[in-house]
Amino acid sequence: MNGILNWILWLPIVGMIAVLVTPKAKEQTIRLLTLFTTTVTLLLSVLLYLKFDTSTADMQFVTKVPWIAQFHINYFIGIDGITMLMAFLNALLFFICTLSSWTIEKNVKAYFALLLMLQSTVFGVFFSLDFFLFYVYWEVMLLPMFFLIGIWGGENREYAAIKFFLYTFFGSIFMLVGIIALYYATGKGADSFNILALQGGKFTELTVDVFGKTFSFEHLFFWFMFLGFAIKVPVFPFHTWLPHAHVQAPTAVSVILAGVLLKMGTYGFLRIAFPIFPMAAVESSTIIAVLGLISVIYGAFCAMAQDDVKKLVAYSSVSHMGFVMLGLAAMTTQGVNGAVLQMFNHGTSTAMMFLLIGILYERSHHRWIVKPDGSRGYGGLSTKLPKYTTVFIIGMFASLGLPGLSGFISEALIFLGIYQKFTTITVIAVIGLLIGAAYLLWMFKRMFFGDVNPEIEEYEDMNGREVFYMLPLCFAVIFFGIFPSPLLNVMKASVGQLVDLLAKF
Amino acid sequence: MIDQLIGFLSYYIPEIMSIVLMTTLLVFEAAVKDENAPRIKIHVYTQLVLGVVLLNLFLNLGEKPLHIFHNAVTIDPFSTLVKIIMTIGTMGAVFLSHNSKDIYRNLKSEFSIMAVGVLVGGMLLASANNMLTLYLGIETLSILSYVMSSFKRDEASSAEAGMKYALYGGLSAGVALFGISHLYGVFGSIQFVEMIDKVPALEGVSLAIVLVSFLMFFVGIGYKISAFPFHMWTPDVYQGSPIPVTSFFAIVPKMAGLAALIRVTFVFTQEGSVLTIPWVGLILVISALTMTVGNVTAIGQTSVKRLLAYSSIGHVGMMILGIVVMNNEGIQAILFYGIVYLFMTLIAFYITSHLSDMYGTDSYDVFRGLIYKHPVMAIIMASVLFSLAGLPPFSGFIAKFNIFSVIIAKKHYGIALIAAINSVIALYYYMKLAKTMIFSEGEGEEKVLGFTPLNQTVIILLFVPVLFLGIFWDSAMALAGNAALFIK
Repeated sequence: MNGILNWILWLPIVGMIAVLVTPKAKEQTIRLLTLFTTTVTLLLSVLLYLKFDTSTADMQFVTKVPWIAQFHINYFIGIDGITMLMAFLNALLFFICTLSSWTIEKNVKAYFALLLMLQSTVFGVFFSLDFFLFYVYWEVMLLPMFFLIGIWGGENREYAAIKFFLYTFFGSIFMLVGIIALYYATGKGADSFNILALQGGKFTELTVDVFGKTFSFEHLFFWFMFLGFAIKVPVFPFHTWLPHAHVQAPTAVSVILAGVLLKMGTYGFLRIAFPIFPMAAVESSTIIAVLGLISVIYGAFCAMAQDDVKKLVAYSSVSHMGFVMLGLAAMTTQGVNGAVLQMFNHGTSTAMMFLLIGILYERSHHRWIVKPDGSRGYGGLSTKLPKYTTVFIIGMFASLGLPGLSGFISEALIFLGIYQKFTTITVIAVIGLLIGAAYLLWMFKRMFFGDVNPEIEEYEDMNGREVFYMLPLCFAVIFFGIFPSPLLNVMKASVGQLVDLLAKF
Repeated sequence: MIDQLIGFLSYYIPEIMSIVLMTTLLVFEAAVKDENAPRIKIHVYTQLVLGVVLLNLFLNLGEKPLHIFHNAVTIDPFSTLVKIIMTIGTMGAVFLSHNSKDIYRNLKSEFSIMAVGVLVGGMLLASANNMLTLYLGIETLSILSYVMSSFKRDEASSAEAGMKYALYGGLSAGVALFGISHLYGVFGSIQFVEMIDKVPALEGVSLAIVLVSFLMFFVGIGYKISAFPFHMWTPDVYQGSPIPVTSFFAIVPKMAGLAALIRVTFVFTQEGSVLTIPWVGLILVISALTMTVGNVTAIGQTSVKRLLAYSSIGHVGMMILGIVVMNNEGIQAILFYGIVYLFMTLIAFYITSHLSDMYGTDSYDVFRGLIYKHPVMAIIMASVLFSLAGLPPFSGFIAKFNIFSVIIAKKHYGIALIAAINSVIALYYYMKLAKTMIFSEGEGEEKVLGFTPLNQTVIILLFVPVLFLGIFWDSAMALAGNAALFIK
């Protein structure tokens, strides 16, 4: 029973080893091996969902094995409602990405091996309940990302890969200092790296001296953790790595980056920063809300200014993740529920957008809405590519939060939650929605309507493989737009526990 | 009396064997007829004897600590572990010298002779228990090092390296000796065991003299471990010297100097000693400056040898943080760091050496596109670079984690932040090299000649601990933890 989580965590590594021992020339075997691994992982995560007990906020499927006994470090994994959703999202997106990466031709073996390694490390981040283990996975995740962006990326890939790596590392090294400080603050005992045992506001009384000044332990290390996670989300002003990484990364890596990696940041707030330092979190909620608001508005305006459609979607991610931060800052039941739901829904809708851009890029080999010389990059796509246009409309409207599609429900919940706390911020944030609709529709108009650009005459519509991997996502954004309860039920107990904890401070 | 001395000699087998090895090598080299012969037998012989020395040291690890030769020398698990690290480093450098084109064919045996000589000096330094033995160790170590660094005698840069090393070394050793003589003047003894007892009674002028003398003494040690501001020689010497020599310098004299610094620190700055605050404060500041200067300067380098030189300065800065906390956990962290650093450094220099032999330069360009020519070597080199930067799952992360852990335990948050920022800077320049190796397309398909099956096997074997200690570090930590220092 408990073994299933270990299987999900380690199966991609098994797949990676299988890929590595396959001869380099057998590219099709390598693709099929990866597809097989990700399919089984997806099926296992469906099984996990079916076996998941929604009535409790406790960790389920727990495995705890001593790793480094001297420091009380354990191999300690388990999931609750929030992680369940993220695990499912991760399994789904990697399955889809394997299919979408079918056209990769450069170094197939290394690419798929790294992709599988990335999947395992992302699962590791979500499953870890031991702080040391969490940190190891958090950092190891950077290695496959660095190489995936740096080797298979666009023209400016080296710069993007290094920037991505350095930014995240900068944030996480502060987190490391925080982790060690917590270890000693709890007296090096058996539970010093146990994330669950650290939760509950146990450090409100402590103080620390840095360079002769006295700080509150709670606040100082909350901000250390905040830095680590905010860079990952990314919250304004730490978002500058994101557009570069997205634009340069190959399609599948963009999908993973926007779909799951950004969620690791908000997940860090939910699992670590808020529950371990609840007092500091509550006292800083205004700052978090304001930063979230700036991300929403600023991200949306930046998106509007882009001529590169992938960059546009990248900035829209900044804007949409800003909504998640707003929901978290609300610290109310609706707000946090909305935030977690938005994490899932943004994962599916943004994945659709990046996949669709990737599909178009394979045909046109550029991503300009308006080319640097002022001419149109596309135009009239809707008459030439009907299937593509249909899927694009679904993805775009899910992204801008049209009622009936998934984005609407999560954003509505977030607004319900935040309105109780920050009325002004809510009012301004709604404008963000409006700008969001504006830039997406404007982009749509410029690319899909108007006279047919002669350059697009030759483009083929989506082929069977492409339709096949877009279908689950289309289904997800429509289905969860009408019936969000399968998602809300799963996370209810876990979110409730967090909100109750925060309400005490 | 004589019986006792002979009894002591049984603890001194590693040193004696090394000296015997050195002298026999001299004889063997004299018997070589063809000056340009490959000298395989001599190298095999050197490795075998060093292997026996290593075995002996491992057997000694469990021994109880004791002072021998009238308190002149301490044999304790700490010094034994440092000697093990140095012996492995020497074996690694000798192995590299066999293939390296940087060491002229007619100098291959000389390299082994010198290296073993430096090793003896290092061993002396690691277990020194009075000021004279300490100084003797420093000098034995240094004088042979000067010669080694100018091994490429017809190249100006190598001659410059030797000259620079000798000038700096001579000066700093002189300053250190000056300091030591004042210490003798104040304490009336050169024996550590006798000097400790007199520390608490220090006051007034004699305290001032002792403080200044220690500062002078630090010059000598600081030079050996290339701590700021005595690090200036490092990049030039590292770059000018042949690569096997550089790899040797990065390990053996550094570890010996660190061992001496640790021992002196722990002898004289026990809990509540008047020397504690100034000495620890000094090391704290030096450490912060050393790592910052090393890492920041490393960014702009274009020669890989210089890069590794500056990065080694950064690592020393990190390691001496373990001294600041003044407890066994700190020493444990340093020793673990030393073990990991040994393997990472050897691999980095091995790969650099084979590439530089092939292309005749050690600029970043020789690494270009290595992944397409030798994927395994490129992956290992990249892993080592990430390990040096302190990224999990490699052992460099655990080493860094331990240092962070001990300083945060003592609530030195400020220095922890400086160290944290430094590791971000370090990641940047290591990443630049990794990037050249993996992201760029190389020119031509030709294989690197130096990566023979044997050399590749050795590199892979050296890589095993880099990976293994990053995931299962229990046993190595226990080993480092047992190597506690023995003073009284």
